[in-house]
Amino acid sequence: MLAIENIEVNYHRAVQALRGLSLQVAEGRIVALLGTNGAGKTTTLKAASNLLPLEHGAINAGRIRFDGADIRGEAPDALVRRGLFHVREGRRIFTEMTVEENLIAASWALDGRGVKPDYDKVYGFFPPLADRRRQVAGYLSGGEQQMLAFGRAMVAEPRLILMDEPSLGLAPKVVEEIFATIRRLNSEEGVTILLVEQNAAVAFSVAHYAYVMEHGRIVMEGDVAKLRNDPDIQSFYLGLGDGGSSSFRDVKHYKRRKRWLS
Amino acid sequence: MGQFLQFALNGLMSGAIYALIAVGLVSVFKATRVVNFAHGYLIMFGAYFYFTFAVLVPQAAWAPEWLQSWRPDWMVEMRADLPMFSPLAAVLDWMANLPRILLGLAGALICNALLGMLIERTLMRPLMGQSVFAMIMLTVGLISILSGTAQLIWTSDAAFVPALAPNTPIRFEMFGATIFLFGADLANMLIALAIFAGIVAMVRYTRSGVAIRATAEDQSTAYSMGISVPRVFSRAWVLASTTGAVAGAILATRNGVSPALGLFGFSVLAIVLMGGLDSYLGVFIAAMAVGVLEALTQWQLGGEWAGIVPYVAVLIVILIRPHGLLGSKEIERI
Repeated sequence: MLAIENIEVNYHRAVQALRGLSLQVAEGRIVALLGTNGAGKTTTLKAASNLLPLEHGAINAGRIRFDGADIRGEAPDALVRRGLFHVREGRRIFTEMTVEENLIAASWALDGRGVKPDYDKVYGFFPPLADRRRQVAGYLSGGEQQMLAFGRAMVAEPRLILMDEPSLGLAPKVVEEIFATIRRLNSEEGVTILLVEQNAAVAFSVAHYAYVMEHGRIVMEGDVAKLRNDPDIQSFYLGLGDGGSSSFRDVKHYKRRKRWLS
Repeated sequence: MGQFLQFALNGLMSGAIYALIAVGLVSVFKATRVVNFAHGYLIMFGAYFYFTFAVLVPQAAWAPEWLQSWRPDWMVEMRADLPMFSPLAAVLDWMANLPRILLGLAGALICNALLGMLIERTLMRPLMGQSVFAMIMLTVGLISILSGTAQLIWTSDAAFVPALAPNTPIRFEMFGATIFLFGADLANMLIALAIFAGIVAMVRYTRSGVAIRATAEDQSTAYSMGISVPRVFSRAWVLASTTGAVAGAILATRNGVSPALGLFGFSVLAIVLMGGLDSYLGVFIAAMAVGVLEALTQWQLGGEWAGIVPYVAVLIVILIRPHGLLGSKEIERI
């Protein structure tokens, strides 16, 4: 459904953020994209939703196809109407508008598609939002804001959602609820999801397939079941360690890390 | 007391027109964060377009006679029996002008909308994503271009245009004093207020209004909701230039058309700063306050003070509340 092929991204024509990154998201799946801070995860999503030019970023090489068609030169809003919705990092809700108006804003994604926005479905998914539909969204709690960000995505009826760190700054219990929703969106609505996360354990709980990226490229990929047992993933991302700590371990650690970065 | 009411009413009537001008400045600022210094000159173009379609075109040799002066037989008959200063006669005289007034308004609205679109498309859109400051400086440059072009096309002689509504004197008693108004002034105020209210309602209650506010708050997120931000920009400019066309037509009927109309934009800019650049309500209050202050100063201190006192008040308000009466705090000042 989404195919990113060997893209290179620069900011301000000077800072290289992605160095030949490729990944595939197959229809109906949840794909996780893991990586440390500054690895380029958010940049990857922005490249796919064509928001890079707003931040002086540009794709210099490679191409991105959504549903087989190259997205180059397509306006970001047109891409949304074609069914690719980006839930931005930090939720980015419209704080001065009410909850309902935030959802109405997302209904622009349905323009020219002959679909009526279904706000009640959102309120059914997230009952707390229904109680606050006339409240100014800036006063919602972090969890409720994340629900609203999801709600906007649901109103837009996308076929693919790019989701940037939905767990950011939320209590573990809320994170659990949010990820339950992600699973539901995928299984009940058939929405394909590309999920960017720092919290690998949570991401693995919902994803089918995962990519790991470092310094602007993919360094590892595979089915979640396989990755979960990988010793590197266990020690670097799941925080399980590999038992018996000795002074020699630090050297090994360094070597292994070096292999990833090369 | 009667005098006070009279002048306060006069002030409210000019305040309403300030508000109509201000609505264009606020709309463009809300959507694009650009303070349009050239707004007064858009208004001047509106006035000239109204002049063109309401005066020049009907005068042309090829124009049908009814366009210049529409006098069907029943109207001539009715007019003949009326005494000199009857209100009905004034209404009939206005109706004779109605075809060219309507043509003038339609022409001004359409031409100014095209002008607004042209400016947005050729000058503002290429600068999208650059600093807002560049766009603001561009509107400053636009002032010279627009005023120069107007003088090239229409020459700089002042000219007069037909009023939008019958100019019958209206007299009524209020609190034991006789208030005296002109019908055209009252109609101008009602038109201005209706347009202002319509735009505020549109921004607050419609889906397009949500798109404008979303763009105002966070451009890139508005994009990712499927909102076409460039289209919001161009709509804001069209809104500014069409409301400016109506304001221009009204100002032209009051003061005649001349390049000096462009200067109105600057006094209204002060009003907008006083009200808060992004608040329709604040700007409305400021426009009315300045209108009334101006009229009262004229009454108490004479006409030569009327241009100064209200703007001293504006300065004081801005000193105390740098973001205007009701403006958002995080907005940068210019």
